[in-house]
Amino acid sequence: MSEPALQMDAAYRHDALLYQGLQDFVHRTVSFIRNGIDAGEPVLVATTAAHIAALHSELGPDAGEVRFADMAEVGSNPARIIPYWMDFIAQAGGRPVRGIGEPIWAGRSPAELVECQRHESLLNAAIEMSTSMWLLCPYDTSALPRDVIEEARRSHPFVTEGATRRESGAYRPGLEPTAAGVASLPQPPAQRREFAFGPADLGSVRGIAAAGAAEAGMTAARTHDLVLAAHEVATNSVRHGGGGGVLRVWREDGSLICEFRDGGRLDDPLADRRRPEASVAGRRGLWVANQLCDLVQIRSEPTGTAVRIHMRT
Amino acid sequence: MSLIRGISEGDGLPMAGWQEAEPVYSDKQLVIRQTIPPDGLSCRGVIDVSNVDSVAATLASHLDGDSDVHIDLSQVEFCDVSGIRALVSISGHLTDGRRLVLHGLPPLLAKVMTLVGWGDLPTLQICDCREDS
Repeated sequence: MSEPALQMDAAYRHDALLYQGLQDFVHRTVSFIRNGIDAGEPVLVATTAAHIAALHSELGPDAGEVRFADMAEVGSNPARIIPYWMDFIAQAGGRPVRGIGEPIWAGRSPAELVECQRHESLLNAAIEMSTSMWLLCPYDTSALPRDVIEEARRSHPFVTEGATRRESGAYRPGLEPTAAGVASLPQPPAQRREFAFGPADLGSVRGIAAAGAAEAGMTAARTHDLVLAAHEVATNSVRHGGGGGVLRVWREDGSLICEFRDGGRLDDPLADRRRPEASVAGRRGLWVANQLCDLVQIRSEPTGTAVRIHMRT
Repeated sequence: MSLIRGISEGDGLPMAGWQEAEPVYSDKQLVIRQTIPPDGLSCRGVIDVSNVDSVAATLASHLDGDSDVHIDLSQVEFCDVSGIRALVSISGHLTDGRRLVLHGLPPLLAKVMTLVGWGDLPTLQICDCREDS
């Protein structure tokens, strides 16, 4: 391997790979994977089940050298993907690693898509530039809308298109995709439950979340998950958001949504996706919400914070 | 209504074989009783951010002795992350191989303990005894 390549491989790369359809996906990713295997690098591929199956048959016995993960499982809630990569990096113990991460496919709901786009932007800040990781994020230009591809160009420092890897001229190093303030969340429908809560109302918050889950026919286990997540987010409002907030509950697109708005500000955009350590200190509410709920949307600005937790019903 | 384990009102029995004594703490959502045997405490009701400091103080004042401390959580309707944090913190005060042993921990809380990085602590033991129902 030549000297410059070694130097380039010693740093974090976050690339978008633009491809057209399944055959092109396989064609474009297999050499990336094989190069990783040949270099002795741990390789983790998190993508759709169909893509995993196609890579398996193309790689043949070499597939055994690759770790595969169904993105619909590990990244169903996109906020769980960064901790997943962080674990992979930690397990490699400082060796260079390669990853393929495809969080966005045509079946994502609008809310999931937006959170995937936030995830892609946060990846630029979540992983140290000195980390020896080459992360390739495939985008299917034959299935995804043009604006999704444009956002991929903004959230990735490099884009591979055709045979060329080049810096993305549209790359925007900021953390947030365009217009990610509180107002960027779509308006809730008129038919909703609304409740202003304070420090003495956490039991009522739990009751309202449980009632919404019951009306939606949610299972007991998922109801318990939702109730705990709702309680933790409301507790954040009580403790860090000015002593309380407003809870809104509604159903939309097959999900039950609980929104918490308060007057606090969350400064750390990665606060909800840093794996807690065993020490007792530190906030864990948003982390827990991300692990228990199907989707968590956090928007914070100087005038306040909104957190929406989604549970499919 | 129990929001965490699906039992009806919290007037059930303590863990089989446990004898409950007089309350050592009570508020509008929680009663803590001493238990003999085993040496420990039983909690009944709701532990959350509103009473967790009192719960922690009550537990901390019942750690004397030279054996494990047993906590019956089988009648806890709801316990939040701050409650779990208090149990973890209390267990950190135990020395000489003594442990805090949690009995009847609701499945969600066991899951959350693992999720938040407290799944494997030397002074905290989760007893796999199940509640009777």
